[in-house]
Amino acid sequence: MLDINNLTITFGGLTAVNDVSMHLDEGRIYGLIGPNGAGKTTFFNLVSGVYIPTSGNISFCGSSLNGKKPYQINKAGISRTYQVINLFKKMTVLENILVGMHTQMKSDFAASLFHLRKERREEEEAVEKAHQWLQFVGIDQRANDMAGSLPYGEQRLLEIVRALSSKPRLILLDEPAAGMNSAEKETLNGFIRKIMSELHVTPLVIEHDMKLIMDICDYIFVLSFGKKIAEGTPQQVQADPEVIAAYLGGE
Amino acid sequence: MSAFIGNRNRLGIMIFIIVGLVLPLVFSAMPYAVLVCCYILIYLIAVSGFDVLVGFSGQISMGHAAYYCIGAYGSAMLHKYTGIPVFFTMLIAAVTATLVGTLIAWPTTKLVAHFMSLATIAFGNIVFQLVNTSPGRITGDANGLHTTYLSVFGYELNTYTRFYYFALIMVLLFMLIKYNLLHSRVGRAMLAIRENDHAANGMGVNVRFYKVAAFAVSAFFAAYAGAMFAHLVRYISPDSFKQTVSVMFLTMLLFGGTASMSGPIIGVTIVSLLNEALRPASSYKMLVYGVLLLFVILIFPGGILGVMRSMKEKIIQKRK
Repeated sequence: MLDINNLTITFGGLTAVNDVSMHLDEGRIYGLIGPNGAGKTTFFNLVSGVYIPTSGNISFCGSSLNGKKPYQINKAGISRTYQVINLFKKMTVLENILVGMHTQMKSDFAASLFHLRKERREEEEAVEKAHQWLQFVGIDQRANDMAGSLPYGEQRLLEIVRALSSKPRLILLDEPAAGMNSAEKETLNGFIRKIMSELHVTPLVIEHDMKLIMDICDYIFVLSFGKKIAEGTPQQVQADPEVIAAYLGGE
Repeated sequence: MSAFIGNRNRLGIMIFIIVGLVLPLVFSAMPYAVLVCCYILIYLIAVSGFDVLVGFSGQISMGHAAYYCIGAYGSAMLHKYTGIPVFFTMLIAAVTATLVGTLIAWPTTKLVAHFMSLATIAFGNIVFQLVNTSPGRITGDANGLHTTYLSVFGYELNTYTRFYYFALIMVLLFMLIKYNLLHSRVGRAMLAIRENDHAANGMGVNVRFYKVAAFAVSAFFAAYAGAMFAHLVRYISPDSFKQTVSVMFLTMLLFGGTASMSGPIIGVTIVSLLNEALRPASSYKMLVYGVLLLFVILIFPGGILGVMRSMKEKIIQKRK
């Protein structure tokens, strides 16, 4: 589904992502791990169009994503969450989802200004669908609250459903468990599995919590200093001497 | 819950319409007071549009009087030189300003807020200079330009009261459009850009497009208001479109409260009445705007509406 070939980006003299190639198929849960500063988030920013790669190719479902802007990549079917929560804080929880559904809706400028009948119908359907998304993660009772007023764990969940509501085929989750307690992590574990099994959206997860990542992922990529040093099943990656060296230090 | 909000909105609209209808009757012996009410309605259109730019999409224009000016001069000159009925020249002028706004917004939306302020100040000054010293003196330059009453379907709006009712209808129309926009896919995209343009982009919102669109909408509102102003007072001169007017729009909006329907109503009414109170000392106008702006920015960033909302929340919490 996602094919990445020799992806490289340099900032001044620093090569943040160095000649990374990856191949992701639909229907598996993927992990992306590596020590701090390995280039994981930069990699996400490349795939989601925030940065333009210095060289290399990204193609998704057979079409090239090179030079596409973030909003075009979202439309192409890749959605994402952020390491630092990036909700629309002074909009309601429901409105956050409705913005997520932006590409799923069609009402244009004229229809919106004059509140035409087709726009009204689409709006009603969208609100109903948005409530379903909130029920999916169990925060529908907060629908009319400001997104910024939710507790941390629920903000994380909201960010994930907001990304899901744009109906992606691939979702990039950047440290979804960061700052969560163990009970919240347990919920998240089940939730990421549900994304795959019920919604058929392929997750690619950056995470530092090894217990979580080894438990949920079918396949893991390891980055270190911008380079991909290993890939494979959790067992293979855990046994890889280079990975062990990268995490524990060594020669 | 949502039904409650809907009812409360309906109540607010009813009160607004009733007060709007009754006002000229109250002031029937004081045409000047009706004229002030006309100004309030005209400013209300301009500031409501300005809110789409500032309150919704989180951008800034420090030269918004430029669009107000293009609307006024555009309509007056088009009528003077072509004889097209005023009713249509007002619309043509507003559409022209929208196009100009789009053209100006295309490069300026790339700028961060402080450079956007500078660029829009510059644009405001360019337009002012162009009408003040026009090629071939087509705008009448500093002498100004006389123009005629507006006629709607052959009915001449030649008294303040007649114009007032026309303006009231236009205000309701423009505010309805703004309300629709706020509660639509397009309006939400603008709000999302204000909140976090990075995340909005990631969610599939074409940030550039909606930023430019917000400029265009606000230009249309301001220009139509400008055209109304021209045909209400029937004489315009460059003095009515100085930088002061841009600052006045900003003061009205921030003082009332952004991203709402009622904020501009509050802000426009209070600042307009202040304008009248200051008429004997009009050179202090800018000083008063400045103080008001500082007051709002430093002490209550949500404007009067923000203060009212937080007071209401406190009351509700006390009851709990």
